[in-house]
Amino acid sequence: MMKIATLAATLLLTTAAGATTAQAANICFSFQDLETEFWVAGHKAITTTLTEMGHNVLERNANEDVNKQLEQIKDCIAQGVDGVIMIPQDGESANTIIRESQNSDVPIVVFNRPPADTGQGVIVVADNAGIAEDATDFVLQQALEGAADDAKLNAVVIVGDLGDSNAIARKQGFEAAVAKYPDRFNVIEVASEWDAATALANLEAAVTANPQIDVMFTSSDFLFPTIRSVLEPRGMWKKIGEEGHIPLAGLDGDATACQLIKDGFVDATGVQDLYFEAEASVNAIVQAVEAGETDPNEIIFDPGFTLTSANIGEREMDMWGCVLLSEGFLNN
Amino acid sequence: MNELLAVKNLSKAWFGVPANSNLSFSIAQGTVTGIIGQNGAGKSTLMGMLGGTVLPSGGEMFWRGQPYQPRDAADAIKAGIGFIHQELNLFTNLSVAENLYIDGFPRRMGLIDWKAITQRTREILARLDLDFDPMIQVGRLSPGERQLVEIARALHNEASLLIFDEPTTSLTPRETERLFATIDGLKAEGRTIIYISHILSDVQRLADRVIVLRDGKLVEQGPADQFTIPLMIRSMIGRDMGGLFPARSNKPQPDPILVAQNLTQPGVVEDVSLTIHKGEIVGLFGLMGSGRTELARILFGLDPFQSGRISIEGKSPEQGPRARIEAGMAFVTEERRAEGLMMDASIAENLTLVQLDGFGAGRLGILDRWSMVERTEQSRTELSIKAANIQEQPAKALSGGNQQKVVIGKWQIGNPRLFILDEPTRGVDVGAKFEIYSLVDKIAAEGGGVLMISSELDELLGMADRIVVMNRGEVTGEIAREQFDRERILAMAFREVIA
Amino acid sequence: MTAIRTKRSLAARAADVFLSDYFIFYLCIAFIIVLAPFLPVLIAPANAVNIMSNMWPLLIVAIGQTFVLAIGGIDLSQGAVMAVTAVIGAMLITLAVDPVTFMRTPLWGLILTEQGGPLAGVTGGVLLALVMMLLAAVLIGLFNGASVALFDLPPFMVTLVTMMTLSAFALWLTQSGNIANLPDDFTRLGRGDLVSVYFGAKEESQLARRQVYSFVTFPMVIALIMAFLAHIILNRTVFGARVLAIGMNRKAAVISGIPVRRIVIAVFVLSAVCAMIGGLLYSARLEAGRPTLGGGTFLLDVIAASVIGGTSLFGGKAKIIWTFFGVLFYVLMSSALSAMNLSAFQIDMVKGGIILGAALLDVFRTWLKRERLQ
Repeated sequence: MMKIATLAATLLLTTAAGATTAQAANICFSFQDLETEFWVAGHKAITTTLTEMGHNVLERNANEDVNKQLEQIKDCIAQGVDGVIMIPQDGESANTIIRESQNSDVPIVVFNRPPADTGQGVIVVADNAGIAEDATDFVLQQALEGAADDAKLNAVVIVGDLGDSNAIARKQGFEAAVAKYPDRFNVIEVASEWDAATALANLEAAVTANPQIDVMFTSSDFLFPTIRSVLEPRGMWKKIGEEGHIPLAGLDGDATACQLIKDGFVDATGVQDLYFEAEASVNAIVQAVEAGETDPNEIIFDPGFTLTSANIGEREMDMWGCVLLSEGFLNN
Repeated sequence: MNELLAVKNLSKAWFGVPANSNLSFSIAQGTVTGIIGQNGAGKSTLMGMLGGTVLPSGGEMFWRGQPYQPRDAADAIKAGIGFIHQELNLFTNLSVAENLYIDGFPRRMGLIDWKAITQRTREILARLDLDFDPMIQVGRLSPGERQLVEIARALHNEASLLIFDEPTTSLTPRETERLFATIDGLKAEGRTIIYISHILSDVQRLADRVIVLRDGKLVEQGPADQFTIPLMIRSMIGRDMGGLFPARSNKPQPDPILVAQNLTQPGVVEDVSLTIHKGEIVGLFGLMGSGRTELARILFGLDPFQSGRISIEGKSPEQGPRARIEAGMAFVTEERRAEGLMMDASIAENLTLVQLDGFGAGRLGILDRWSMVERTEQSRTELSIKAANIQEQPAKALSGGNQQKVVIGKWQIGNPRLFILDEPTRGVDVGAKFEIYSLVDKIAAEGGGVLMISSELDELLGMADRIVVMNRGEVTGEIAREQFDRERILAMAFREVIA
Repeated sequence: MTAIRTKRSLAARAADVFLSDYFIFYLCIAFIIVLAPFLPVLIAPANAVNIMSNMWPLLIVAIGQTFVLAIGGIDLSQGAVMAVTAVIGAMLITLAVDPVTFMRTPLWGLILTEQGGPLAGVTGGVLLALVMMLLAAVLIGLFNGASVALFDLPPFMVTLVTMMTLSAFALWLTQSGNIANLPDDFTRLGRGDLVSVYFGAKEESQLARRQVYSFVTFPMVIALIMAFLAHIILNRTVFGARVLAIGMNRKAAVISGIPVRRIVIAVFVLSAVCAMIGGLLYSARLEAGRPTLGGGTFLLDVIAASVIGGTSLFGGKAKIIWTFFGVLFYVLMSSALSAMNLSAFQIDMVKGGIILGAALLDVFRTWLKRERLQ
């Protein structure tokens, strides 16, 4: 039974293979979901880049189910793909899947969300700490400019879920920036656990306890609406240049942040250079396929950049959030 | 007299098998027509065609002289045909008024006009001499009252032809009398009635004309006074039958099997004592709500009792039906569909249900299929169950009488010594009734004890060695076969009314 | 006249196929025959191996569900049982955990340390952990069963509550963290192969790759043994006949002296244990105890697969062989849909359509059966 099936499969596959050219690779792109705009933009960047280069993309949506992601990638491999690009659900399952793929001699690239063990596979990841540090530095300087030389300023940092390595790196980046100005900042830490409701409650408490806030950094841009809902009733949500403006910085570079920078409410956001990451992922997988390398291991850092009110004119279209914005994303 | 409904050569075949063939009759306005026939004679199919739920395969129907071709139940209602079903078709969780208006609530300014609804419902109920609140939940009414609510619904729909399908099966004699009075009233108003029943004396009492169906054909019709009961039976079954009941073939023995002493459960039964001897058939008679079924459930260990004693062959069994079954008891319940049979399971699976343990081998209890087939085939022969293949055919494919035989048969495999039979012949046609009576007689003849509960006094008079009468949870009298007297028994059952 | 007879016997033969226990299996074969020319990958050995490896854990969980469906119940807590038992097992045997993640959990210091769980590296530790997982599953099953049997609560409600509570409990225990670094003895259960087949080098893709496929794996052996036993129990023993009787008519079962309560409890225990074993295989394959295991639409997959096989949601009608083919069909269908390169939304829509089709086919079969008996 099995032998017959194999024979038939071999015959059919041979004819099918004859139709494709040697250059066009079949790349399996597995992602965990498309719920947030960041992943929507990333998904679009990767599929467009691959298609424009003349490769075939096999898309697999795991709907946040790791089991499904594992099964889907195995199915991809069974279908004879040349390489895999994956956005894993979490760090642990990423390692299992990388091993599965490499054991089947299929190169794999992990996009944006790093595995627990970064020693295997090609890992394209944003330099979260560096990006956070740059963005924070920008607003700290803004805050210091308007303050007396010896004044000690209150700096609020909204941290993410500390089980997430990205959240930890962002917090470390913030701390590194503050450390450059010894004795100038009094740090108030607000936990969000990547949850808007938690962030709202904790930020309310922090602002009530410390009515004077001089600068604020949020570990993710998605919390800007939450920040606004806390600050606005207290008269603390002001445009740059207006009396009482608090220098604000975030990280991610989403469409809301782009709009807020354009409107002058937010000073800076650290941008994960999604287009760089997408291109790096695609290049890495294509190179591996062309070189016949089945288990390339490498970490590619995305240095990111800081988008500010000053450079928004020139760098707007490098930031994925602004691109989404220009496509009318927020209106939908 | 005006002709209201006429059918000509009406036929229906289900996949080639005729259920009705070439029926022709007419029904005059303001008359009561009794339709009788055994189960499977084609009554339901005929009613289905009148009611628009079954499409005839041939023939014509005329309603007030015009061709009548209902496509669904709504067409029949619109024409003015109302059904009062055997299995009540009411929403027990809704009020009487809501049940009447379920097809469409009158509205006022976009809202349901409750005032008009209750007022109109009250009017209709008053016409039927019913004095309960239109907003009372149907579930809280007795079966007899529900039947009257069904009639009220038909009146609400302005039905000029009311079709009663076995309306008295769940009614007490008093409720039955009331129903008959209502039917007389409806007739006096000029409404037309079709009355279908197995209870031939009721048909005789009510009908102006009688139509007899057999095997899908109309075998006889004529004025009711031409039909005696034996004549009706003969034309229904197509042959003579020597009486309605088999002769009792044994006398009870002196030793008791079941002794219940002073059983009391507040609100259910009060100080009930009862003894059943070997080879004895004890009839238990009472009206609905007299506590007959409740007593049976207590005896079988399904419901608790507060004080008193039950002993079976001298031993007190533990609580619960399992212990009673082990002690040799069997319980054929009143609700055959709900409590007796697994309708979708095969006949054989139903037969082996009680004694499954006996067919299991080894520690895993692997079923011995061969002995199951053997034993169930033996039951089929003993009980003469009419089915092509008892291993495959589901119980629901059987007629009521054969279903009842399966229920009795599933207990017989365990050789019980005491049978409780609650309404054993309900929904069973005349021919099969006789077979069931014979089975009951055989159980007693083999030394078993039987407690036979029935609301048909005639069958108790025909079968029982002794009749115990209950009223409101108490035993109000006991009467031996030699002294059987219909009037006295009814007086005991109606105690308070008479007193 | 002759023509009519042939026609009839043809129709009768078609009806035989429809009414056969193997109907869904025939459907699977038809499915492959129709789709294989367009989707050759469907019958590629690698894909066959994938289909099987996806099938085994799902089959085990579905077997448990089949028993509950047979008594006319439903067990919504299976996914949560998988998550809780997986977390319990993993926390006992993990060799190391990341302190940053697990410092915040209630397990830290108590059970988990940087050196892993209390049974890390202990001889027989994996076995002991399996016993603990089994114990947890039995307890959960007892709770579900007792609530249904003794207090007459609807199974839907009871298991919904169990599902919510247990999922939350698993998440709380680990604070959403996955417990990785499980010993090889454990992970081998998910992938360890007993028989592998070498198909020779494959030429089609641009990279040459090894063509060794694991055909007989531990999950396969476990699932087949369990399916066989479950088949015997449900369709060949007194216990199974009683389970089906309860599903068909619970009142009649009580009156006929069937120990309804005991059997209902046993069925829920069975369901929880099957869920635990399925979860064990998933965890071993994913190499981590995950508090989110069995979440999302997993349970719908389980129920859909059972029902496609022909098991009735109303109880009384269930066969393990049906569930076996139902799961096979479901996995095959998922594989085919995924090979068609449809989007996730399209896949779910087509899946929904196919499940509806299977349900309608079942209605048709029931009708056919009735017609045949009349």
